Amino acid sequence: MRNKHHSLVTVLAMAFACAMMIVFSSLMEGFVVGSELNIVSMNTGDMQIHQPSYRDDPDIYKQIKQSLTLVTAIRQAGFKASERLFAYGLMASDQSSSGVQLRGIDLQYETSVTDIDQHIQIGKWLEKSDPHGVVIGKKLARLLDVSIGSELIFVGQTADGYMANDRFHINGILKSVSSAIDNTGVIMSNVMLQDLISLPDGAHEITIMRTDRRTDLALAVAKIDDLVADDLEILNWQQLMPVISQFLETAQIQTLIMLLFTYIAVASVVLNAMLMSVFERIHQFGIMKALGVRPWQLIRIIYTETFIQTLIASLLGLFIGAGITWYFEKNGLDLSSMSDGFSFAGLALDPVWYAALSVKSLFIPVVFLFVIAALAVLYPATKAAVIRPVDAINHH
Amino acid sequence: MLHKLLVIFFLASQLIFTPLVTAETDSSEQISRVKALLNEVDDLWRGNSSYAITSMQVKTENYTRTMRMEGWSKGKEHTLFRIIEPLREKGTATLKSGSHIYTYLPKTDRTIKLSSGMMMSSWMGSHLTNDDLVKEARLEDDYEAAISFEGERDGQNIIEFTLIPKLDAAVVWGKVTLTILAVSHTPVVEYYFDEDMLLTRTISFTDIKMLGGRERPSVLRVVPADKPDEYTEFVYEQLKFDLELKDRLFSLSNLKKR
Repeated sequence: MRNKHHSLVTVLAMAFACAMMIVFSSLMEGFVVGSELNIVSMNTGDMQIHQPSYRDDPDIYKQIKQSLTLVTAIRQAGFKASERLFAYGLMASDQSSSGVQLRGIDLQYETSVTDIDQHIQIGKWLEKSDPHGVVIGKKLARLLDVSIGSELIFVGQTADGYMANDRFHINGILKSVSSAIDNTGVIMSNVMLQDLISLPDGAHEITIMRTDRRTDLALAVAKIDDLVADDLEILNWQQLMPVISQFLETAQIQTLIMLLFTYIAVASVVLNAMLMSVFERIHQFGIMKALGVRPWQLIRIIYTETFIQTLIASLLGLFIGAGITWYFEKNGLDLSSMSDGFSFAGLALDPVWYAALSVKSLFIPVVFLFVIAALAVLYPATKAAVIRPVDAINHH
Repeated sequence: MLHKLLVIFFLASQLIFTPLVTAETDSSEQISRVKALLNEVDDLWRGNSSYAITSMQVKTENYTRTMRMEGWSKGKEHTLFRIIEPLREKGTATLKSGSHIYTYLPKTDRTIKLSSGMMMSSWMGSHLTNDDLVKEARLEDDYEAAISFEGERDGQNIIEFTLIPKLDAAVVWGKVTLTILAVSHTPVVEYYFDEDMLLTRTISFTDIKMLGGRERPSVLRVVPADKPDEYTEFVYEQLKFDLELKDRLFSLSNLKKR
């Protein structure tokens, strides 16, 4: 009875729409997740402690007093925490020179709060046995025209007013992290940096990460706040990166709006296919009614048929969509021919856009497809159920 | 500015060029007078080359340090400085060649060229920027000069010049005023204002004594307006003019010599 070609077209149209929705929402999810991950797990952590005025004016004398005691207390409270020290100066290669931010990190604990050591593009991470080996930002590497093993000369100022000067070599070059690190970041051990700038102890920043990121952030901040002296400032990553945090929130809304448009387009395709498949057989339904099939039986038949079609389509869509998404998750969507990295309000994005496959991005499209199909078939099914057999048979 | 620190008279000589340039196109009486006056100052202070031994003291909230250095200059384009004391920094040298600055660092035995991005940062931990070193030679092109006060002030007979940057000048200041003694044309004080016409720093010239065969201020003190307790002070121990200096002295290869 059914037109095989039409059934196939309907199923394929729905499968295609479903796959597109999966790919699209995975890409958007990947964007948001990737951005947040870049910020939190590469640099800011969940929260940070500073001297209140340090962020506006990063003066090397604005240290966190007794930072070691504090960071130990935070670790005992069940958090992951690491100290950081910063200094500014000039880094010169054979070819050129540039202003840099030296980031002295605790080799033992930094990797417990961030994954920056996993974010090396070429070369390797810092090693305790090689204090003069540094890891630098990708744009800085290009600016200085250097690669792994290249020599760098640092010139700056020590805390007691003398000239800080030493020779370094490049151990690794980072992938895109943030515009600050990409353009000016030079990472070394805090012990090395303390020695270089004659700053005996203390830190400028303590970065803290929850052991379980699913727990409430505000609660964690409050808990840490009890340990921190009143003259220090504790901020969560959204406060540390307000522009990006807002941007990501709006990105989620944007995703929803974009998805809505996609869904409307999909709905019209499905509706059209359903209308077609019911109305092309309306005279057959008329005959069935004339033979004594009851309206609700007819509705049940049409719905069962639609359900089977949608099921096949969604399985097909899931398969194709997940496949494409899986590819983009592994290989990314390479936009480097358009730009070598996007940067927005200090957030640097890799030119390669990775999708994130999640339960949410897989099943919302599928559920939506079923809802749309059910709604789309409602009108033709009702029409077929209530139409007089005579009219239906004569319907062409 | 490095130049200026080494040889104070160059400061005055910059001012000479400014009215000279403007006076050619404007023949009003006042400008001719500025020209004549500053010409006189120019003749008084000008030198083609110089050698100096200077000590620099920097006092900030966090540290106080002193260093001694010797320096050579030739024309407005070449200046070389080398640190003599303390031992920790001995041999560190700065070369200004045109608009470029090179620093030789004995600890790492390397010479680096300062990038444009580093121009606004502190020179040797002092209250002067690298930009001050480079900009100095260009002041003559960058400012319009006029006499803004003449007569007695604080018991001294002085002339005050006001320098306004020309519209197309790449200058960070909104205004500079310079006061000189009316009789000897010795600089007394210089005020630097930002673009909102707020005072940013003061350079004062004191302790007049015989230097380079003439009486000149031997102490130059830079005080940032936002940190009045801090200063950088240069004291001239020795100053000689019009020496035979070869261009080779200001070469990159010579920078390394100790």
